Amino acid sequence: MSTDPAHILPESFWSSLSGARRFRLNGMVVAGSLILIPLVLMAVFASFLTFLDPLSIDASQKLLAPSWAHPFGTDHFGRDVLARTMYGAQISLRVGFGSMLLTALFGILFGVISGWYNLADVIIGRFTDSLMIFPGFVLAIMIMAAIGPSELNVIISVTVLYIPRVIRTVRASVVEFRDAEFVEAARTVGVGDFRLLFLHILPKAAGPVMVQLSFGFAWAVLVEAGLSFLGLGTPPPAPSWGSMISDARDFIRSAWWLITIPGCMITLAVLSLNLIGDGLRDMLDPRLQSRGEL
Amino acid sequence: MLEYTLRRVLSFIPTILITLTSIFFITRLIPGSPIAALVGHQAVGAEQIDEITRDLGLDQPLLSQYLDWLPKVLTGDFGTSLFYSEPVVDVVAERFPVTLYLTIFSMIFTIVIGIPLGIYAAIRRGRFADYASNVVSSLGMAMPSFWLGFLLIILFAVTLGWLPASGYRSPDFGIWEWLRRLILPVAAQSLAQIGLVVRMTRASMIEVLGQEYITMARAKGLPESRVVLKHALKNAMTQITTVIGLTFALGLGGSVIIENVFALPGLGQLITIAAVRRDYPMLEGGIFYLTLVALVVNLMVDLGYAYFNPRIRHTR
Repeated sequence: MSTDPAHILPESFWSSLSGARRFRLNGMVVAGSLILIPLVLMAVFASFLTFLDPLSIDASQKLLAPSWAHPFGTDHFGRDVLARTMYGAQISLRVGFGSMLLTALFGILFGVISGWYNLADVIIGRFTDSLMIFPGFVLAIMIMAAIGPSELNVIISVTVLYIPRVIRTVRASVVEFRDAEFVEAARTVGVGDFRLLFLHILPKAAGPVMVQLSFGFAWAVLVEAGLSFLGLGTPPPAPSWGSMISDARDFIRSAWWLITIPGCMITLAVLSLNLIGDGLRDMLDPRLQSRGEL
Repeated sequence: MLEYTLRRVLSFIPTILITLTSIFFITRLIPGSPIAALVGHQAVGAEQIDEITRDLGLDQPLLSQYLDWLPKVLTGDFGTSLFYSEPVVDVVAERFPVTLYLTIFSMIFTIVIGIPLGIYAAIRRGRFADYASNVVSSLGMAMPSFWLGFLLIILFAVTLGWLPASGYRSPDFGIWEWLRRLILPVAAQSLAQIGLVVRMTRASMIEVLGQEYITMARAKGLPESRVVLKHALKNAMTQITTVIGLTFALGLGGSVIIENVFALPGLGQLITIAAVRRDYPMLEGGIFYLTLVALVVNLMVDLGYAYFNPRIRHTR
């Protein structure tokens, strides 16, 4: 350890996030987690929490109002809405987690390359610009039309939709610190490019990237629901919250529970993730105002 | 200003080319998929498939398809819709006003509500009103707009019976007949955007209010209302202009889903139906024109921003 003085220079991820000494858990992060954790538990233990199959059709149990047997009622195929809601959480969380994992992986990779090599910067810059031209989630609609509706494809299109932001953030950090004194110091003691990037520069970007990923997770849940609502996302009969709302549209006059429940779930999931994102951002830099970026 | 305008307008040309190129290659990510979609469920012979393939030029290599396609679309020819059997441009032109009305009205509504609320939250920072507006805007941003749309339908159309649940009438049927069908869609779309505008206005206002010249204005005894509305707002306005442009782009993006909730025959509905049916010429044309409008508005906002804020003109 002591042979390499560069070791003591970089701030670790956690201290860059919290400043170690001024570490104080943000109220918004706590509030967001209090909503998110039950949702995650519900998704993970769905098969233990309910014995009902979210897909099994029973014509004799059609459109039943909430009762002890079916706390959230049943839909027009007699499927248990509680079971569908819980398994629906799995879809939302899988899409959010999967797309943000891919976004982080490729976003960091392309961001680093873009910030480090000037030629690649031009190409990657053009690429991210061209993805950011399209308003809203029109880009996702286009991609889904091309590659077809499936859960995996939703993950792919959310990734494409969100990756430019992460690439830009990582690139900005790399460019900012590329010529910083601590990097030059590390270089003079013989630290290689790869190590410089991943051990010294990248940790500086970790905080902002974490913030973006939590907003991205929220955005992913909304996009998945929106695409499924339009019939372009997770195909039926999978109990995606978005398709549950779409199914319920014919019954808004008679069966209120069908439309209210999945909508509340989406709202809670998105709200909790946005709260966590806001809180993380305030922890990172308390001076920064909460600027809601999509 | 002239030089800046020229520069921005010229940079518009490559942007259009990039947009078209992205649309072309993304919709053709999977080779041959338009055929599969077109043929779909019908039993079609191999000859017919060959014929359609040749008609659409899909037997050519992708690059030559692209070089064939680009000059055509640059003159506005996106081909014929596979589903409507009409030129794409005609269908788009017919649907376009609906989306424009929806977007413009919800932009106005968002600005009229969002900006004053953001300013108020900034003035009352840390007090009850600030928290309340924060809670409301967070909720607004978390609720999916299409779900909110259904809640509004349940309340105002089904329960109260004040407004029609869905559908559209052109202004030819009378202004009220036209407007009343737009009220709920505009409300659903705006509520989701207001949260964002409140937050951004609040943030830029707080930033300005923290500056020294504001303290100076207060120190020389100006009334608070004058400090906020004259001195602070003027400076915050430059940032808020960008918010207005952003709202428009957001509105266009959001219209895609809102038009489906309220059965409005606009461009957004056209795009999603084209996507579901895999009507590729229609999809490409629809997305291009929707994006074009967003780009033009963005350009206008940038020019307006530079006009009000001379510093911008001279940076690169």
